[in-house]
Amino acid sequence: MGKLNNNTSQRVRNKSSIAILITAAALMLLISGIQQYSARKQIRSDLERNAEMELVIKSIAVKHALEDVELALRNRSWEFEQFLPYPDSLFAVTRRIVEQNPSFDGCCIAVVPNYYPEKGRLFEPYTAHRGEEIETVQLGSEEHDYSKNKNFILAVENDSSFWSEPYHDEDDPNVTLITFTFPIYNAKGEIAAVVGVDYITDRIGKMLNSKHMFPSSYHILISDEGKLICGPEEVGNTHQLAEETLDMINDSTRERFVSSSGHCTLLSFIDNEDGSKGYVFYNSPQNIKPWRIAVVNYDYEVFAPLIKMRWRNLLLTLAGLLILSFIIHRSAKNISKLQQATLEREHIDSELNIARKIQMDMIPKVFPPFPERNDINIYGSLVPAKVVGGDLYDFFIRDEKLYFCIGDVSGKSVPGALVMAAGYTLYHSLAAHESNPSRIMQALNEALSKDNETNMFVTMFIGVLDLPTGKLRYCNAGHEHPFIIGQKVRALPVKPHLPLGVVDDMIYTTQEDFLAKGEMVFLYTDGLTEAKDMKHEQFGLKRVESVLETFVEQGGIPTEALIHTISEKVAAFVGDAEQSDDLTLLAIQYTPKEKPIVLHESLTLTNKVSEITKLNTFVKSATTALNLETDLANKIKLAVEEAVTNCIEYAYPVGTVGDVVVDIEADDSTIRFIITDSGADFDPTKVSKADTTLSVDERPIGGLGVFLVRNLMDSINYERIKGKNVLRMEKRYS
Amino acid sequence: MNTNITEKDGEYTVFLEGELDTAHALEVEQAMQPLHELSGKNITIDCSKLEYIASSGLRILLGLLKSAKGNGNKVVLKDLNDEIKEVFKMTGFIDLFDIE
Repeated sequence: MGKLNNNTSQRVRNKSSIAILITAAALMLLISGIQQYSARKQIRSDLERNAEMELVIKSIAVKHALEDVELALRNRSWEFEQFLPYPDSLFAVTRRIVEQNPSFDGCCIAVVPNYYPEKGRLFEPYTAHRGEEIETVQLGSEEHDYSKNKNFILAVENDSSFWSEPYHDEDDPNVTLITFTFPIYNAKGEIAAVVGVDYITDRIGKMLNSKHMFPSSYHILISDEGKLICGPEEVGNTHQLAEETLDMINDSTRERFVSSSGHCTLLSFIDNEDGSKGYVFYNSPQNIKPWRIAVVNYDYEVFAPLIKMRWRNLLLTLAGLLILSFIIHRSAKNISKLQQATLEREHIDSELNIARKIQMDMIPKVFPPFPERNDINIYGSLVPAKVVGGDLYDFFIRDEKLYFCIGDVSGKSVPGALVMAAGYTLYHSLAAHESNPSRIMQALNEALSKDNETNMFVTMFIGVLDLPTGKLRYCNAGHEHPFIIGQKVRALPVKPHLPLGVVDDMIYTTQEDFLAKGEMVFLYTDGLTEAKDMKHEQFGLKRVESVLETFVEQGGIPTEALIHTISEKVAAFVGDAEQSDDLTLLAIQYTPKEKPIVLHESLTLTNKVSEITKLNTFVKSATTALNLETDLANKIKLAVEEAVTNCIEYAYPVGTVGDVVVDIEADDSTIRFIITDSGADFDPTKVSKADTTLSVDERPIGGLGVFLVRNLMDSINYERIKGKNVLRMEKRYS
Repeated sequence: MNTNITEKDGEYTVFLEGELDTAHALEVEQAMQPLHELSGKNITIDCSKLEYIASSGLRILLGLLKSAKGNGNKVVLKDLNDEIKEVFKMTGFIDLFDIE
C-alpha cells in the first residue's frame, strides 16, 4: 500500500513538474516574443531614424562633392576668360582641365555662334578620354550643332549654371556622366561661351557607398527625372540592383510610407533572388534638390541583432528551462523528502501519541484510586510539556503499604518517555518484592546505569507508607524534596543522593518519618518550581511554600483541591509563556480511621510446633466470640496457623527458645491478627508467590505457608518495629 | 488426630480423622512412613473424617505422592470436605492428586 501510494505521488509529482515546465516554457517564450516584438519595433524606428540621418549626411556629402567640382571650375573662370580672345588656345584649356581632373571625362567650350568670325558659326574645342588616350578636337559643326542643344540654350538664355541629367558615356555605357554647364563672359560681360564639364558619377557613387549601416546596404543617387546618377560600384549585379531599386522608386503603384519624421519615404520589397525582405529609404534633400538619395537595407541585416538575440534568447530560454527542470526535479525530490519527513513525523507523532497513551495508561489517573479505602486520599496530575513527558509518578498498595514514587527523566519527548517507561516498569517489578525504598532505588540505579549510552539520568523519590502505622520510609535520588503538610508546612528532609543512572554503585539509604493522621505528602517535579513566566522568572520554591501555607491556613482541603489550586496558580504565573517542562504534582493524605475495638485478646507462645494446638484453640475462641461462620473461621484459623508456624520454625535459630506473641483485635467489621516475634529480621511479604501449576515432580515440598496466608486473609502487612518482626493480617467478617 | 492404615487385597487405605494441623503433622507423617516403602500398591486416603488440614499436612500428602509415583503406585484421595477441597484448589493440589 505504501509502495502504491509512493508511486502514485511520484506520478503526481512528475505530472505537476511537467506542467510547471510547460508553463514556464510558455511564459518564457511569450516574454521572448514580446521582447522580440518590441525590439523589432525599436529597431525599425531606429532604422528609420538612422536612414534619415544617413540620407541627410550623404546628401551633404554629395552636395559638397558637386560644389567642389563647381568651385574648381569657377576658380578657373579667369583662365577661360583670359584665353577667350585666342580661340585656338581654348583647346589647351579644355585639355588641361581634363588632364588635371581625373573625375572629368571631358570638357568642351561651346562658343556662342559666330563669336569668332574666323572660326565659322560653330566653334567648340573639346577634350575627352578616348580609351587610354586624351583627345582634343573641334566638335562644333553643322552636324553637331550645339546651339540647338537644350543645355546650351538654357545656359545662355537663363545665364545660369546647372547639372545635367545623367547619361551614358558613348565609349563606355557603364560609365555614367553628368555635365556641369556654366556660361563664361567676355570683357564686356556678355556671354561668350558655355563650358560643359563631363563628370564621372562613379566617384560620387563610391563616396556614397563608402560606408553603410549594413554590409549589404547600398546607396543610389537619382536625378530629377528619376534616372540613376550613380550607385554602388559595379560589382556583380549591383548595377542591376540599383536599376531595380530605381524602378521601385519610380513605380508609382508601389505602396510607400513617409517616415515618422517626414524626412524620407520608405518602401519595402521582397528580393527576387533570395526572397529576403528589403527596405528602400529615399529622400528629396533640400541641399541637392531635386536629386534624391536612396538607401537600401535588408531585413536580415537590419534585424540581424534581433535574430542573434532571438537565438541567444532561445538558448537562454532552453538553459533556463534546463535549470528550472533541474530545480523542479530537486525541489520535487526535496518535497518528496519533506513529504516523507512529514509522513515520518506523522508516524512518529502517532507513535508519540501511542507512547503518550501507554504512558498515561501506566500512570494511575483514576481518582480516587482506592475508593474502598478510607485511610488514604490521593490525587495526582501530570501535564507533559511535549507530547510525551519524562515525568512519572506512581502509587499502589501492597500488603497494607502505599508504594509511591515521583520521578523526572532528564530530557523530554520520546527518549525521556522510554527511559521513564523502563523506570516505571522496573520500579513496579522491584516494589512487588521489596518494601525498602533504598533497595528499590539501588536496583533501579543499577539497571538504569547499565548501558546508559544516552547519559540520561532520573531524579526520583520513592516512598513507602505503612498504612497501619503511618510510618513513612523514603529514599531520594536527586529529586526535589517533598513537603509534609499538617498543622504546618515542613520540608521532608532528604539526603543528597545522586540521581539514578549516574553512578552504578551508588549507595542509597532509606530515611524514615511518620505521618500523623490527616497529614499530607506533597510531591512535585521541577516543572513546578522551574515553571517560567514570560519574563523567564521561575515560580520558585518560595511561591510553592506560600501556596501550601495558605492552604494550611484555610484549614486544609482535600488532595484534589490542593492539586487544582496549585495547577491554577502556576498556570496564572506562567501566563502565555510556553510550558517549559512537564508538570507533575502528587498529593497523598493519610487518613486512618480508627474504629472502636470490640475484642482484644493476646496469646504468647514459645517456638514449638506443639504450641499450635494452643493457638488454634485461641483463634477458635475468638472467631466463636465474633460469631463467625465455620468456613470463615477455619480459613482464619489456617491463615493464622500458617503465619505462626513460620515464626515458630524460622524466627529463631534451631535449639534456641523465643516467644511468638499473637494479638487478636476486632472492630465491628474486621478481625486483625498481629503476630510479633523477636527473631531475625524476616519479611514474609517478600516471599515469592508459590507456583501452583507445577507437576508433582517439580513441586517443592513446603513454601505454601505465606501463600495460604495471602490467599486466606484480606491483607497482610509486615513491619520491623523496634527490633521485632510484626506481621499484621486482617480479614473482614461483615 | 488419628491415623489408621488398613490393607485389603493388596490395596492400602489411610483413614485420617480430626485436624491435621502443624502440631499433629509429625505424628501423622511418622504413621504414614511405611507407605513410602510400598511397591506396586495403590494407596487410598480416606478424608471423610478429616476436618482440617494445614500446609504441614499438605506437605505430608505431597511427600507420599512423590514416593508413590516413584514406586509406580497411585494415590487416591477420598471424600474431602468442602473446606479442604477449597484449600486443595487454592494450592493447586487438586490437580496433583486423584480425587474421588
